Amino acid sequence: MGVLQKSGRIISWPWKYWKWSHHERVNFKQGMLFLLPWTIGFLAFTLYPMVASLVYSFSIYHSKQPLEWVGIQNYAQLLKDDLFWKSLSNTIFLVGIGVPMTLLASFFCAVLLNLKVRGLSIYRVIYFLPSIVPTVASTILWKWILNPQTGILNTLLGYIGVQGPNWMSNPVWSKPGLILLGLWGMGNTIVIYLSGLQDVPIHLLEAAELDGANWWQRLWHVTIPLVSPITLFNLITGVIFMFQYFTQAYVFRGFQGLGYPLNSTLFYSVYLYQSGFLWLKMGYASAMAWILFIVILICTLLLLKVSERFTYYAG
Amino acid sequence: MKHKQIWLIISILLIGSMILTACGGKPAEPTLLRVWIQWGDNPAQIQELFDKYTKESGIKVEVTAPLEEDKILPALTGSDPPDVLVLSGGDLVKSYAKEGMVAELSDAIKTGGMDLNDFFPAPLNQCKAGDKIYCLPWGTDMYALFWNKDLFEAAGLDPETPPQTLEELVEFSDQLTKVGADGKLEQIGFLPDQAWGHSDLYIRMFGGFWYSEDGAHVTANSQPVIDALTWQQQFYTKYGVDEVLAFSSGWGDAYMSPDYPFYTGKLAMYVDGEWMTGPNFISKFKPEQSYGVAPFPYPADHPERASTAVVQGTVAVIPSGVKNKDAAAKLLAWMMSPAVVAEEMCVNANLPTSKKAAEDKCFTANPKFKVFVDLMASPNAKIIITTPISLEFNDALGLVEEQVLHTGADAKPLLEQLQSDFEPKLQEALK
Repeated sequence: MGVLQKSGRIISWPWKYWKWSHHERVNFKQGMLFLLPWTIGFLAFTLYPMVASLVYSFSIYHSKQPLEWVGIQNYAQLLKDDLFWKSLSNTIFLVGIGVPMTLLASFFCAVLLNLKVRGLSIYRVIYFLPSIVPTVASTILWKWILNPQTGILNTLLGYIGVQGPNWMSNPVWSKPGLILLGLWGMGNTIVIYLSGLQDVPIHLLEAAELDGANWWQRLWHVTIPLVSPITLFNLITGVIFMFQYFTQAYVFRGFQGLGYPLNSTLFYSVYLYQSGFLWLKMGYASAMAWILFIVILICTLLLLKVSERFTYYAG
Repeated sequence: MKHKQIWLIISILLIGSMILTACGGKPAEPTLLRVWIQWGDNPAQIQELFDKYTKESGIKVEVTAPLEEDKILPALTGSDPPDVLVLSGGDLVKSYAKEGMVAELSDAIKTGGMDLNDFFPAPLNQCKAGDKIYCLPWGTDMYALFWNKDLFEAAGLDPETPPQTLEELVEFSDQLTKVGADGKLEQIGFLPDQAWGHSDLYIRMFGGFWYSEDGAHVTANSQPVIDALTWQQQFYTKYGVDEVLAFSSGWGDAYMSPDYPFYTGKLAMYVDGEWMTGPNFISKFKPEQSYGVAPFPYPADHPERASTAVVQGTVAVIPSGVKNKDAAAKLLAWMMSPAVVAEEMCVNANLPTSKKAAEDKCFTANPKFKVFVDLMASPNAKIIITTPISLEFNDALGLVEEQVLHTGADAKPLLEQLQSDFEPKLQEALK
């Protein structure tokens, strides 16, 4: 927020405003005016709610009465709350199984979509299409696909002699069902991978080929290291997304209570919503939100740290 | 320079108008009242009803229905709440009252000139906490046994005779359950938690409830609760928990469609409410359905519990943040007047909560609906006892019900755990 040189380096700070030339002042004012919409939005809809929720997390919130300050009571209660741990473990299942599966599957699809075959752009469109279907709509669609009696998935499994599981009401299969649903909408991840694959320099692949490397060796030793920054990006965004998993679980339970069956789909955000908006424990829910924020922060930093050894940045 | 001034003026105007809208002006006389209704099988009809109020008073009424559950809290806590909020059930009103979200209605009842003696006592009681009153029932619901006469006939049962006792219900259910050559279920006789749980009714039938009658204690581990859950469990364990779950998966989502299992002949008997006999459900989705309605069966050794039923249903509240309380009170009084109650409940086939309205021919003409009207007059018509912890307790009980029914778990230890978890919470909340 100062006057910038063309290189982007700040050469003067606003508190030296009175020393600026007329031109610099006009520039500054105009810049501020353009920043204003975002600044107002950020202050009112991001910073204020965050600070407020931090305050609420140390109190019992009453919408019509003053806050009741209770110190760390909410956090202490959370640690003793079975549902909290249940929802956390459900979410970690999603992060631990769902994210790697999505990465693997989307990388595999991206490699296929990077082959030089006829009708390539049509395939790319087909693979991306599911991602533009609204989440609620695709979830309802998947409820039909996963219906154990009439659903197409179990019908197809039946043709090859496999008795499909009870995706919707068996707590063992409800989370895998949701992961399948998530795989369907991985078009965004595929596109990001695809752009990464196209950045892999042809000369490196050709050099490897001349050295006698087969397709698999070229993939393993050249392509995968070169797209590792993309993998890291997809991994981190995937982890953050899965920690906040809500809509699909909310829609998927249909007529049943949140978390159906048997709290196996009671994910962290779902329980947060239930505590805050259905049980009216807003302070408790705020404490949950902050724990989630910190967990995500730690996970992201950890991933960034660990990834230094596995990520290769060309150039 | 000119450009700059114009931009400056525009931005000042924009910011100014934002501040003005945020503060909001207080209208002296209401020209528009808003009614939000959680259910709404036919929103256009509800709007038409309220248009009559506009004709009488000159005040426009805007109806929003139906509402998702996550709109309720903003409706109650926002700075610009609806003037009247109609909730699907009264079970959460005490929780809202404890948080100061809904207005105490004694003044509104006086302002509007409402006669509390015209209300049936059972539905009114769910709104009372001591001498305070936080909601008014606007029509109510009761549940009874629905049976498919064609399936009865096919199974060699008399299509006109429903089971009288719980024991008979089990026998009938066995005869009405069909398993195909591949071992998969093709038809099921009775499903206790279709389309949602009815443990309140079954527990009342077994002679108790999950709170003491005064609402001062949790009685989740009492014998009637244990018995009622265990009784329901047999319909799953006997036919195979996984088989029944696979068979019934997704049924609830078909509730308002012709694919509902009761219409397609997959389910012979189940528990549902009086609205099913009205124009918006069976006669809309499967008009040719041949079915009967009867009070839910009683335990053979307790014939005195015949016609036990639970009253639960729609209540209207005034959010505490409503600016013009008098206008809201007058609208509420109009809604509660016998003529309006009769009209609205008749159209939607809900039970009238006004005694005068209940005399209307509309409620006695349909013999299937009459079953519910008679149930409401039954001395065994009970209310759902509510407390300030109902929100959380209901979900926890729902989970126990699911564990017992859908995994075959033993009810007793789970209910003991529930009791020891929630009795302290209730005592804390009642302090």
